[in-house]
Amino acid sequence: MSPTPRRRSRARGLAPYLLSLPAGVWLLLLFIVPLFIMLSITLKTCSPASGACVMTWQWGELPHVVNQYRAQFETSLVFAALATIIDLVISFPIAYWIAFYGGRRKNFFLIMLLVPFFVSFIIRTLVWEFILSDNGVVLTFLKGHHLVPSNFHVLGTGLAVVAGLAYNYLPFTALPLYVALERIDRRVLNAAYDLYANRRVAFTRVILPLTIPGIFAAFLLTFIPAFGDYVNQEILGGTANTMIGTVIQNLFLIDSDYAGGASLSAVLLAVSLLGIWLYAKLLGSRTIQDYL
Amino acid sequence: MTNEMSNQTGAQGIDPALWRGMTQRRFSRRQALGATGAGLMALLLAGEGESAAATSAKLGSAGWWKDQKLHHVVNFANWPYYIDVLAGKHPSLEHLTATTGIKVNYYEVIQDNASFYQKIRPSLAAGQYTGYDIVVMTNNNPQLGYLIELGWLIPLDHSLMPNYEKFAGPLIKNPPWDPGNKYTMAWQSGWTAVGYNNKVVKDPGTSIDILFDKKYAGRVGMLSDPFELGSIGLLAVGVEPAKSTEADWAKAAKKLQQQKSDGIVAAYYDQSYIEHLKNGDISVSMCYSGDIFQADLNSKYKDLTLLLPSEGAMLWTDNMCIPKYSQNPLDAMTTMDYFYSPQTQSVVEYYNDYICPVPAARQELLHPTGWNKAALASLKPEIGLPTSYTADSLDVFPSPERIHQSRTYYNFTSQEEITAWTNLFLPIIQGA
Repeated sequence: MSPTPRRRSRARGLAPYLLSLPAGVWLLLLFIVPLFIMLSITLKTCSPASGACVMTWQWGELPHVVNQYRAQFETSLVFAALATIIDLVISFPIAYWIAFYGGRRKNFFLIMLLVPFFVSFIIRTLVWEFILSDNGVVLTFLKGHHLVPSNFHVLGTGLAVVAGLAYNYLPFTALPLYVALERIDRRVLNAAYDLYANRRVAFTRVILPLTIPGIFAAFLLTFIPAFGDYVNQEILGGTANTMIGTVIQNLFLIDSDYAGGASLSAVLLAVSLLGIWLYAKLLGSRTIQDYL
Repeated sequence: MTNEMSNQTGAQGIDPALWRGMTQRRFSRRQALGATGAGLMALLLAGEGESAAATSAKLGSAGWWKDQKLHHVVNFANWPYYIDVLAGKHPSLEHLTATTGIKVNYYEVIQDNASFYQKIRPSLAAGQYTGYDIVVMTNNNPQLGYLIELGWLIPLDHSLMPNYEKFAGPLIKNPPWDPGNKYTMAWQSGWTAVGYNNKVVKDPGTSIDILFDKKYAGRVGMLSDPFELGSIGLLAVGVEPAKSTEADWAKAAKKLQQQKSDGIVAAYYDQSYIEHLKNGDISVSMCYSGDIFQADLNSKYKDLTLLLPSEGAMLWTDNMCIPKYSQNPLDAMTTMDYFYSPQTQSVVEYYNDYICPVPAARQELLHPTGWNKAALASLKPEIGLPTSYTADSLDVFPSPERIHQSRTYYNFTSQEEITAWTNLFLPIIQGA
């Protein structure tokens, strides 16, 4: 009977590895390998005609494009940050209300929040373009009642792009916030009241600190995709506010400059990783999985 | 099928055996052509391994064409809104199927040259069928040149192009981008010119300067295609694009950059500019001639007017070609030549109003002589205008003056030139 326990313990020792195998293979094939392919392209010279790439170890490409497109990086940074802040300000009260006052209808309210986002991203943005166009319903009404000057327009401005980003990424902010607020133990709140905290103090000293990981997760989940977004700028933006996502798209599709596009993508990824690293550093890596 | 085809096209009953005979006689000449057209190919292929020349000598030769058989199906990739439509069907394609048995799977999948090229390139590079037997590529972008230079197009069999030889117009026959029509046959042409809203713009003048007029600041649309943008910039600084130098390109780029920093440009648009012109977001725009014509057909947008500037307008041509590894090349050849029948072209043109590659289609619009009579009549309620409107349009059958105003694009001779061009004009489009 002696082999059985040994075999069992060996199997038990292997179990974690076997269980993580599918995820590991997935990560390797669909993340690590493509990542290294992308990084290697930054050092290659590619033919725009055939698409074939030859390794030329051109280390200069990355600093070159970062320098060349610094302004577009800055625009993306500012737009994504603004959109994220707007989303946090809008969705915090919504998430708070649903978590604390939603009662039995919590799920219904959450679905109500998400229903518009069942429609394709592109279509939603195109509809905004339609609504906000100079002869569209909104501006026609405002101009007709002389609420705005006749040459006022929204499309083609940075405001339109930020608004589009804020609209499109709202659920990415609202849901992590909701999760953070929902999981706050009500007894902790009651304890605060028992200890003579008024509502304001209970909010600032209890609820807000307990929501910080959620706020940070919401920030990352909104900021990172918004930073690389090109759809909103393409559809709603004008000439003076190109975002880095558009540049990457053009480098790949129009210019066939794969090394340049890959370099910018690498920088974009680095910025995102920096955010996640900061999160892990400040709030501990254990809390990430609760929100992602 | 050949008899039916030739009856309706006018070329009197050519026996398939005779076609084969003709192709065989041409064999040696064809091979010689294949050997000479290598110029830029060597340049682009340098260091890239695959030698296209070696395989293409056989591909598309008379002997190769002789071995091809009709499969009665063809997969046709084209741009949207570019063929006659009636109740969700295409009368011209239906007639082709009725007379030849070739079923056309017509896909409106090409939105722009660059991205479509990126879609078919992996298949071509891997030696596989792209899924299309006919693709339509424009001469104003480098991709058509890439396809030719990499040996990724099947040389056409001129013995299977009786309509083309007979009816192709001088504007598109033997074009500079494909001497001798070795690989391509034009689908339609058009101008890249200026379109404006005549309700807002009261004194358009005749110059391209209207695009640079501060009066319309924030209301001017420009195209986001760097090759179109650069060519218009060259016209604006008084240079013939076809004869321009890199110094001229820099001058044009400066002019366009100024236009942008002066706040004149509303945005750099793809095909969507026409919607913005229609709904009033912009008053003046770089435009494709056929879009303005089609918008005008709709009485709601009668205010749009096409202006061919005195400095010239860019004449582009969309070209049908057969990508390598096509599974139905003979069906593709037959289909392509079918569109050079004046009767077919009259039906296509009545709907789409670009520059017609077949001048004889004008008479067919005015006095249809065959199947097109019923087709044109059935399209009429849809279009709402007499066929003479299309026939007499200078946008479709250009006058000598309009041909004189047409300019050709710069013919790039190396990848370095293409890169130099995009490095000048792409930053304008995507500048911060």
